[in-house]
Amino acid sequence: MGAVDFSKVRLEQRTLAGVKIPVAVVPRIKKQSYLEKILIALKGLMKGMRLTFGYLIHPSRIVTQQYPENRATLKFPERYRANLKLIYDENGYHLCGGCKMCEKACPNASIKVLNRKGPVTGKLELDRYIWRMDSCTFCNLCVMACPSDALQMTHQFENAVYDRRLLIYNLNRYAGPPAEAMAKLDEEARKQAMEPRDVYGGPVPLNGEPLPNIPPIVIAGEEKAASETPPSTEGPAA
Amino acid sequence: MHESVVTTWMMTAGAWQAKTWAELASDALSQNIWLTVAYIAGGLIGSMTAVTILGLALIYAERKIAGHFQCRLGPMRVGPHGIFQTLADVVKLLMKEDIIPDRADKAMHLLAPFLAMGATMLVIAVIPYSPLLQLVDLNIGVLYVTAISGFGVMGILLGGWSSNNKWSLLGAMRSGAQIISYEVSATLALMVVVLFAGTLSLRGIVESQMDGWWIWRAHGVGIVAFIIYLIASTAEINRTPFDIPEGESELTGGFHTEYSGMRFSFFFLAEFLNMFVVGAMAATLFLGGWMPFHLGGWEGFNNVMGLIPPIVWFYGKVFFIIFVIMWFRWTFPRLRVDQLMRLEWKVLLPIGFVNLLAASVLVLTNLYFFPGN
Repeated sequence: MGAVDFSKVRLEQRTLAGVKIPVAVVPRIKKQSYLEKILIALKGLMKGMRLTFGYLIHPSRIVTQQYPENRATLKFPERYRANLKLIYDENGYHLCGGCKMCEKACPNASIKVLNRKGPVTGKLELDRYIWRMDSCTFCNLCVMACPSDALQMTHQFENAVYDRRLLIYNLNRYAGPPAEAMAKLDEEARKQAMEPRDVYGGPVPLNGEPLPNIPPIVIAGEEKAASETPPSTEGPAA
Repeated sequence: MHESVVTTWMMTAGAWQAKTWAELASDALSQNIWLTVAYIAGGLIGSMTAVTILGLALIYAERKIAGHFQCRLGPMRVGPHGIFQTLADVVKLLMKEDIIPDRADKAMHLLAPFLAMGATMLVIAVIPYSPLLQLVDLNIGVLYVTAISGFGVMGILLGGWSSNNKWSLLGAMRSGAQIISYEVSATLALMVVVLFAGTLSLRGIVESQMDGWWIWRAHGVGIVAFIIYLIASTAEINRTPFDIPEGESELTGGFHTEYSGMRFSFFFLAEFLNMFVVGAMAATLFLGGWMPFHLGGWEGFNNVMGLIPPIVWFYGKVFFIIFVIMWFRWTFPRLRVDQLMRLEWKVLLPIGFVNLLAASVLVLTNLYFFPGN
């Protein structure tokens, strides 16, 4: 065994069969004697031991956090990814134009964007932004795909619920045009254009039964499915 | 000189009680046989209690140190800083079902953990903890310790063989191969000190270090022997980086795959106590046992050092060695079987022989530091 001294690697032009070829010339590996090998090995071991000892004597390098106790002062790594969120501007308007790029980017179909024809603007706008947290892998592809930077991965990670259906969120607070379109409307029209939506307003999957305290929702064209049909076993209603 | 301090407390020790527990018991035989029985029972119960407490403390220390070596905290929940975690685990292990695999060799399966544990207990009896505390002093102490610690592998071999499981058997066979190889180097390293001290008795070896510890008094060969002993004995007690008999990633636990509950905890405890034994042997032979740290000519310093009780010196040294072994474990990756054999037969053994030869030349020419007498 021996180490290659990479600082002595030279680049040369050599002619092989009349063709000039650039060649990297690596110096011969120096043969090490028995004692040399042992010394090098010991040096490597000492290096490792110094590193771990450094960890031992510097408690500030500990990454473990005592979670429930330090909830208030929890430290998150820079690129920590938890619950998805729609970004709202200072006026409380979302930025989503309903282009469905995130829905197409999602590898496991956890996102469903439902659009409607706006009652005020007459154009397509976001009705419901449904995010299935239960099947989300937090891969961040939706955030990267969004052309208007309307999505964000937050640090909210406490998601325990007693019913799986409560993991299906409706991310938009109102159905209506995004901030860009809102800017063109006057005060009165803005109010008319917005229709409130709550967190659990999405089409509930599994067997489609309504949950206690959460009224069944009605989606245009799917009234029957949401209100009266007996529980179907075919999967998500959406 | 500094000798005065040591002799003072050896004299006080002599006035007080300079006999081992076994000698006291045999003296009592002439007076009353029940006193002897009481001595023996006291010794047994005392050492078992000490071993249990030691095991708990070592396991806790290992977990804490491991945590901090890896930027973690270690146990934090049970009690302040998790100090009762090991105790809780012991309760859990006691409550667990003791499963014996189908078509296992039942008698051997039950016996194996006790063999492993028994070997360790037998070694613990001869270690001189302080001038006042030693259970038995054998005139062949070093030989006894090397022989008995080789006996501990019998438990592992039996456990692996009787489990009716190929992983267990592989792990046990590896353990056998390992201990045969590394026992040689460890003994060669111990021989160096025996040459210098001129005695095999552990108490005698400690007393021969009154003028300085063999690790530096032995003129260079001492430190080489110490390093060889540390490496070889780490391998002997199957600790990482030499833990191929267990090898979680390849043998799913090795020889103790099929053990659970109480019997598993015996193997586990034996492993940790073996670590203590290795620390105690290294401290006794190379670091002066319970002798305090003395510098020639520094009267005041030596007096201060002499004030620290010998048992504190002994345990301080032992825990230092244990810390180093834990440090090894949490730094180095595991060796492959062939690497393990190469390290022993091609590196440690030749160096050990050369070192022993050099040591005998030094002893013959009387060429070592501060020859006191």
